[in-house]
Amino acid sequence: MKLLSTLTDWLDTRTGYRAALAASPKLKGGASFAYVFGWMLVLLIALEAVTGVVLAFYYSPSGNNSWASVAYIEDQLTLGWLVRGVHLYAASALVIVCGIHMLQTFVWGAYRRPRELTWWIGILSMVLIMGIAVTGFVLRWDQAGYWASRVEIGIAASTPVVGETIRRVAQAGNEYGNLTVMRFYALHVFVLPALMLGLVGAHIALARKHGPTPRWSLSEAQLAKQTARWPDQTFRNLLAMAVCMAVVVGWTISKHGAGLGAPADPSAAYDARPLWFFRWLFELRHLFGSWEVAAAMGAPAVAIGLLMMMPFIDRAPTTAPRQRIVPLTLGVGLMAAVTALTMVSLQTDANDAQLAERQKLDDQKAERARSLAKLHGVPIAGGTAVFTTPVMYRARMIYKNACADCHNGDERKGPEITAGYGSRAYLAAFLKDPSGDRFYGRTKLAKKEEAMKPIELPPADMEAVLDWLEAQNGTAIAADKVAAGAKVFEEACGDCHSKEAWVAGASAASLAEHGQKEHLMHFISTPGAAVHFGELNEMPRFDRELSAADRELVTNYVLWLRDKTPAQVEALEPLE
Amino acid sequence: MANKPSDELTKPSTEPSVEPDRRRFIKIASCALGGGMGAAMLVPALRVLGDPTNRKIVTTPSDPIDIGSLERLVVGAAPLKLDVVAPVIRDAWNAAENVSLGAAWVQRQAGDKVVALSSICPHLGCAIGWSDKKGVFQCPCHESFFEPNGERTTGPSPRGMDPLPIEVVGGRLKLRWVTYRQGTAARTLV
Repeated sequence: MKLLSTLTDWLDTRTGYRAALAASPKLKGGASFAYVFGWMLVLLIALEAVTGVVLAFYYSPSGNNSWASVAYIEDQLTLGWLVRGVHLYAASALVIVCGIHMLQTFVWGAYRRPRELTWWIGILSMVLIMGIAVTGFVLRWDQAGYWASRVEIGIAASTPVVGETIRRVAQAGNEYGNLTVMRFYALHVFVLPALMLGLVGAHIALARKHGPTPRWSLSEAQLAKQTARWPDQTFRNLLAMAVCMAVVVGWTISKHGAGLGAPADPSAAYDARPLWFFRWLFELRHLFGSWEVAAAMGAPAVAIGLLMMMPFIDRAPTTAPRQRIVPLTLGVGLMAAVTALTMVSLQTDANDAQLAERQKLDDQKAERARSLAKLHGVPIAGGTAVFTTPVMYRARMIYKNACADCHNGDERKGPEITAGYGSRAYLAAFLKDPSGDRFYGRTKLAKKEEAMKPIELPPADMEAVLDWLEAQNGTAIAADKVAAGAKVFEEACGDCHSKEAWVAGASAASLAEHGQKEHLMHFISTPGAAVHFGELNEMPRFDRELSAADRELVTNYVLWLRDKTPAQVEALEPLE
Repeated sequence: MANKPSDELTKPSTEPSVEPDRRRFIKIASCALGGGMGAAMLVPALRVLGDPTNRKIVTTPSDPIDIGSLERLVVGAAPLKLDVVAPVIRDAWNAAENVSLGAAWVQRQAGDKVVALSSICPHLGCAIGWSDKKGVFQCPCHESFFEPNGERTTGPSPRGMDPLPIEVVGGRLKLRWVTYRQGTAARTLV
């Protein structure tokens, strides 16, 4: 205690803080829980500042990185989800407590002379807080934030005459891009908070100068009782702040954080919705039909104007509500209208089953994007590129789009190409029944005379042919076995097939190097070439339809299938 | 408390009858609430800020990286600086392709025998260059000099240049990219 008083003495000598604290006006009528809301706002702003600074250590504002860095914060950073969740929900709490603070001020008549300036600065601070929320909503660069910002900029851009200029200023240039995010970021973390803190500082200074407005029902005797803020009022303030904090943190935990949608995708349709406290404007725009822009811009101006005018509208001799019927009716009416519009908007969405269906799909897409981002990382190209990160994504997409119709599933027209295609077991089964359903059974060739007949050989010879065939695809087989196999092949198959590389057989394909990359890619490119099917070919050529790079990718995929089991193919990550 | 430093001592005389116990409780409770809220913000914040400290945030390939053809190297010639470009790395949220990790000074001693030295100076991490005139390696930042075989001659570097594992496979140079702690005489993997 001695040390503490020495320290505080030292500090007081240099700052004079005791005199400053003592100069703070006493509370007329004693401490009250009615005065705690301003301090709750201070706590929420502090929460936003602390969580915001922490997030700034991990967030990267750019068209390519924003979503990815937020996904990292949300899904990989220890407690990142909590910090970001508190940042989001404390912002909602800020708007709610701002409303309550304003309502208390309003009912108590605390905006009246000489506190008009405090009131006006308070209203401006609230507008700035909403501006910070709007700019912050965009930064996650997911579908919700991206599309909400597009709509907001669209509204601003429909201003007559200067609209297009506003658009270019707001989005920084001709199109959405890196600079758009940077702009919202700079506004969100530097410009608007700095302005807001300045205003809030002035608001607090004025509030301290004038002290709170006591409840109208207090008698002269009660008002005469003046008490210091410390500790009774301070305790109430701190208690309210602690409850506020507990609610925000508890809510965040119960919601498992703020959530994050799928990465911003300009090509994907999305049901854009504004932040919940702008829902009333969203609903108002619907009601106004072709006057929607006037509504979106006029309504907030009218609401703010009305609140600002309150000190002039309210001329009652005392703060007693029964003497202030007109201002109270206006204020309560405004609040009721805003609340009603908000409820209607939320209810409309809640009753829309199709919307719920679309939102469910959006949620699934978001979940998939986030799990891929965690597993593989997000490519430099940006958030939506995360969908291309599953193993062999591009090759499998090509297979799916160009090959699967004919080579996979019940509707196929050609041989089945799945796990084990081209393996020794596959070749053995093929030789026994080339026109079986799994092989050429579904082709026109199978019904023709030229169709390959089942091969009947003694088991040892069959193994020898398989040795030779398997050696063609690069499998390591002992040289003497290959030589023995070549002999049997020549006798059993040589009438039709060639075993010289790139030399067509008498009536069927060359099987040398069959199953090697170059051979297969050549086949996929031009299956009708003489060395392959020649005139018997039924498969479309892909040298024109697919680029060389794509043909190579899909070739690799088909070769990859050879030694795989169906379970291994099943286990591949889904493409969408 | 603040505006009355000697509160505890003088309380009986200044506040003779106003529930001293209740006041005392409220004061202590206020401090506890304030301190509690501060701690509730600070502790998780520091926890989050410290998260990457002991995690592998940047993951470079552990497999050997192809840095070019053996043919580029001539036995007895001056060391050649070859860029080490990772096919893919993970960096926090990104998966990035073709990322430059650094460079290696590579010399061919004979046939397939090749040695590689990291271009990162063991002193403070500047990029070491080769002086053709003097036939030595030289760090431009703090004037550390190294023999062509990487041994330190003069300067502040606490050890010689760091060797990188390299081998020749099918005529290609395959190098494993490793980094060591800087500023120590011992060579410790990072």
